[in-house]
Amino acid sequence: MTCTIGHMTMTAGAPPTHNRPVGLALGFLTGGVIGASLTAFIGGCVVERAPLILTGLVLPAVYGLLFFLATLPRRAREAAVVPRTALAVIESLEAIGGETSDVPVRFDLSVVPDEAPAFRVEIQQDVNLVELPDYRPRGVLVVEYPPDRPWKARIVKRPTPQWEERAAVAQVDSVPGPAMKSETSEGCFGALLTLLGLVLGAAAVLLLFRADLFDSHEADSGIPKPSVSSSSSTTTVTSATGTVTLGPGQSMLDKGELRKAVESLTRDADRRQALTVVVQDHLLTVVFSPTGVKSAAFDPRSLPYDRVPGLVEEARTALGVGSPRSWQLTVDGVTGSLTLRVVVTGGEGTGTLEADERGKVLRRSGN
Amino acid sequence: MGWDESLVLWCAVWGVVALVGYGMSLAGVTKAQRTVRLTGRIERVREPRHGGSRKGGISVVVSYSDPVSGQEVTVTNDGERGDTIISCAWEGREIGVSHPRGRPHAYRFSNTPEEPSRGLGWPSFAVFLVYVGLVVLAAVDRGWPWALIGFGGPWAVSGAVHLPGAVRARNRRIERLAAMDSARGRVVAVLKDVSVDDDGHTSTTITPVVSFTTREGTAVTAYCTANLPHPAGAYGRDVTVHYTSADPAEFTLDRAAEHRSEKRQMTFHVLAIVVLVATAVAGAVML
Repeated sequence: MTCTIGHMTMTAGAPPTHNRPVGLALGFLTGGVIGASLTAFIGGCVVERAPLILTGLVLPAVYGLLFFLATLPRRAREAAVVPRTALAVIESLEAIGGETSDVPVRFDLSVVPDEAPAFRVEIQQDVNLVELPDYRPRGVLVVEYPPDRPWKARIVKRPTPQWEERAAVAQVDSVPGPAMKSETSEGCFGALLTLLGLVLGAAAVLLLFRADLFDSHEADSGIPKPSVSSSSSTTTVTSATGTVTLGPGQSMLDKGELRKAVESLTRDADRRQALTVVVQDHLLTVVFSPTGVKSAAFDPRSLPYDRVPGLVEEARTALGVGSPRSWQLTVDGVTGSLTLRVVVTGGEGTGTLEADERGKVLRRSGN
Repeated sequence: MGWDESLVLWCAVWGVVALVGYGMSLAGVTKAQRTVRLTGRIERVREPRHGGSRKGGISVVVSYSDPVSGQEVTVTNDGERGDTIISCAWEGREIGVSHPRGRPHAYRFSNTPEEPSRGLGWPSFAVFLVYVGLVVLAAVDRGWPWALIGFGGPWAVSGAVHLPGAVRARNRRIERLAAMDSARGRVVAVLKDVSVDDDGHTSTTITPVVSFTTREGTAVTAYCTANLPHPAGAYGRDVTVHYTSADPAEFTLDRAAEHRSEKRQMTFHVLAIVVLVATAVAGAVML
């Protein structure tokens, strides 16, 4: 039995293009996130900074989560649409390359649904090389498409027996063009915008974390000069000691300041060991260990600098010295284990707080 | 923020995720709990074409009864129909058909009818990530030997707990191997999938398809990826197939090889436990 299927032509045109700017913006944003997270992660690993490494890991995860949540309603809406099955006739087809056993083929189809207007659509679908001869111009096949997005049609390669029989006996009329087709990729401009986002993302991280990245780099690679002066601090390094004096308005308790100061004194390639580190509000003094002396020496870079502001604050408030006037942190390893000793002097006397090498408070003494 | 705080935050975040997941499971709103699970029946098996692709599994026509309308629904495994492909089929075989509640068009297949699930997979994975975070935290805070203890210890205990079950499963499998029936079969197609990775390397997957008829007259078509020498040139070759009468999907071309494989798996299991115990002990000694 042969039946001929006529058609009413669908007046709908090409798929909506309002998503194009959104797609471009999304590409730019994705490029930015990739650039920023990669730069942060690699930079963080090089300079050994946990916040940078974490930024590199957390940023793409948060972006992915936000992207997932933002697209959730759209995907749920699309998934709820019941696909429509229809017969179609191949107007033309063209294999567009590929080195695998499944080659991408561009099909120009006339789709003739039973209860909807016919339409012409251009799709691309992978076809196995062995099955390729089955597809020829004027051949009838079964397609499936979401009624609200007919340009998303796909060929049903394994139709149900009922549709298989219909396709075998039906003759389907052609539908006049033009064929609607799925929105193409953003092309060269989109790729350039993504690349721009990538570069800007990387630049943003370099700018935001410049202190961490570049100061540390200089500290690691530079040869120490006898004296370095700048508008904000003065650094002096001799064979026995090193001092850093901060300028007005600065404090060793400022975030990262103490670590930066210590690293500026220890940028030798051989990582000089220290016997004593003394810190006051504006002054850092490191007494270096003589060459060959191992006992009681320690790496001044290994101290828990993040804990120092907390220890000083605790000593100021918890030791009952009244209104504190000055403080001093002394670090040495003369007792065998590394000890951090904070001495605060106030109106009502002097208090001492001792902590271990991790910054854990061991004992307190004061008024 | 240092490593300690970051790890605590990591554990806290995944802990919250796990709690939310378990809460959703208790409330009965997980994806698995909103899935309708049905039993379908294979009505027709289409023989794979020689040289074709293994993607999508063996082409079958399946019917199942729609619980809402009570009507018989006929579907095929065309397109994306689940993570598992139908690799063994015969007319009358019962397979699993599932779909999200209210969306029967998004049906999925599984090789066997599925039991209802509470959807605890992701929450349990979140708990696993909390455990990993705690072990790393212990290693950072108290020294790296804690990493050996933290990873070796629990997995060794888990392996030891599962060992008796694994031994019983192996014994049952060996009994089934011994009781298998034999039938003449034929390689009716050899499927070939060529893929190219990003570096331009080409890889080819060869999948012979064997067909045999059981003593009860069931014509079985199945992918046969093991124990067939020179699979690329196996098209048309006659083979002897050993199968379990109760479930022809459990078949082999070489019972002795399967026997050896079971032994190897058990040895590997025991060896893994020994290595894990040794890891934990080494960690404890180094503390």
